[in-house]
Amino acid sequence: MSTLPRIAFVSPRFSEGPTVGGAETLLRQLAERLVVKGWQVDYLTTCARNHFTWENEILPGRVSIAGITVHYFPVDSGRDLDTFISVQNRISRGAEITRDEELSWQKNNVNSQALYQYLKTEGHQYDRIVMGPYLFALVYFSSQIHPDRTLLLPCLHDESFAYLKTVREMFLNVKGWIFNSEPEQQLARRLYGLDISKSHIVGMGLAEFATDPAAFRQRHQLNSPYLIYSGRREPMKGTPILLDYLEVFRERTGVDMKLVLTGSGPYDPPPQLAPHILDLGFVPEKEKHDAMSGAVAFCHPSVNESFSIVILESWLAGAPVLVHGAGEVMLDHCRKSNGGLWFRNYPEFEESLLLLLTRQGLRESMGKAGKRYVQAHYSWSSVESRLLAALS
Amino acid sequence: MSTGLFEIGADGVDSQKIMAEIQETVAAKMQSGAYAGAQLARAERFNLMNMKKDENFFDFYMESLREAVFIDINDFEIRERRAAFAPLLVKLKKTIWGLLKFYTYRLWSQQNQVNGLLLSATEEVDKKYRDKIKSLEERIVKLESRLPPP
Repeated sequence: MSTLPRIAFVSPRFSEGPTVGGAETLLRQLAERLVVKGWQVDYLTTCARNHFTWENEILPGRVSIAGITVHYFPVDSGRDLDTFISVQNRISRGAEITRDEELSWQKNNVNSQALYQYLKTEGHQYDRIVMGPYLFALVYFSSQIHPDRTLLLPCLHDESFAYLKTVREMFLNVKGWIFNSEPEQQLARRLYGLDISKSHIVGMGLAEFATDPAAFRQRHQLNSPYLIYSGRREPMKGTPILLDYLEVFRERTGVDMKLVLTGSGPYDPPPQLAPHILDLGFVPEKEKHDAMSGAVAFCHPSVNESFSIVILESWLAGAPVLVHGAGEVMLDHCRKSNGGLWFRNYPEFEESLLLLLTRQGLRESMGKAGKRYVQAHYSWSSVESRLLAALS
Repeated sequence: MSTGLFEIGADGVDSQKIMAEIQETVAAKMQSGAYAGAQLARAERFNLMNMKKDENFFDFYMESLREAVFIDINDFEIRERRAAFAPLLVKLKKTIWGLLKFYTYRLWSQQNQVNGLLLSATEEVDKKYRDKIKSLEERIVKLESRLPPP
């Protein structure tokens, strides 16, 4: 057993259900694939479930989940939230801050001294340590412990946090990087001057599934065309743009276009649009896929994605996508697959949506093209071979 | 690292070509004024951050704002849809409006002034920086022309 390669994943939360973000889901999926390949996989994470409060809700200790040994460590108490929020607000506004201020932001971010201590004493046992996403202090400080065997899986976005000096130092300090897409890799090269020959693009694999759009429509008595969005609803994900655009679309075109939402997070729809939203909250995967397959398009208005699992799922469900053109990763997926259209402003949104609505043949062809793209590049077999190449 | 790793084509569908056609249609419609108005300005309120690299769209957005900036504060016809007691209800509404108008007219005209001033300020800032960038670009060209050939 001792000759098996040993790997640790480090992330602020362990994905136990639909409440975590895409980065945690990605890390867990990759960890599970390595278990199947015979690797010894440890996952070092915190006892927190809630990414707002970071309360320690899970008991510290070790648990085996799907062949992964998950180590839960408590989040440090005594965070100076006033300092943290004040610096964070300034970073978000793009204000100039000093390295000392950045460090005080990192120190008052989510940290776990117990996890750092474990890495210091036990980290040398791992052949590789993969950690992410980039903007958590837990990753920043963990990356300094064994940089010679650390691979960063950053899920990087073009946002103000990516321009911090400490983030740059972290990128330059580790052994290598695993990116989700070419635009993410190019962004890292542009921001930090990385030697991208030390990096790999891996992404996440998706398994195919069957769908029943008619059953979904019947269950929810949906007789009108609809757009769908799945995931967190928040300004950073562009939710307010989608709500405003759809309201104006309905007003200007007279088309009774509905909106189906799955996922979580509060949102504030314009009053006239509210009755035309079907908010399903968290739903089983099957329900989500059925909903996707019957939609005119999956609309993703976010400009801050490093991969976007949901648009790949939508293509597997046979639906085209309509994405924000300022989001380089999703734009790249659309250009390469021919599985979707994009918009940079309301007029382009209106024209694209009308085209998809009125041209069923085009809609189907785009859905099929997207599906072929996912099958060709994001099947588990192709992702696994890229992952093993990255770890070697 | 192979850069061509993700190259794939789809028979019969070309997203980029379709988007080029959509963008042409949008440009023509913008010229004809099909997208002017307060509605559009409202739709873009959360998208402004994403438009910073799109100079043409900023012009369009400013045009929408110009259309939307002054709210109509003139008198309007007061009607009543319910048939029963309609004349009485209309009279009551007119009386209430007559009392309120004195106060609201003052408030709304002030709001219109503020809106107008904010728009003028934004236009001035936009013009100032465009002029500044233009003069800097001209200066760069001039300085570059003085450089010896490589």
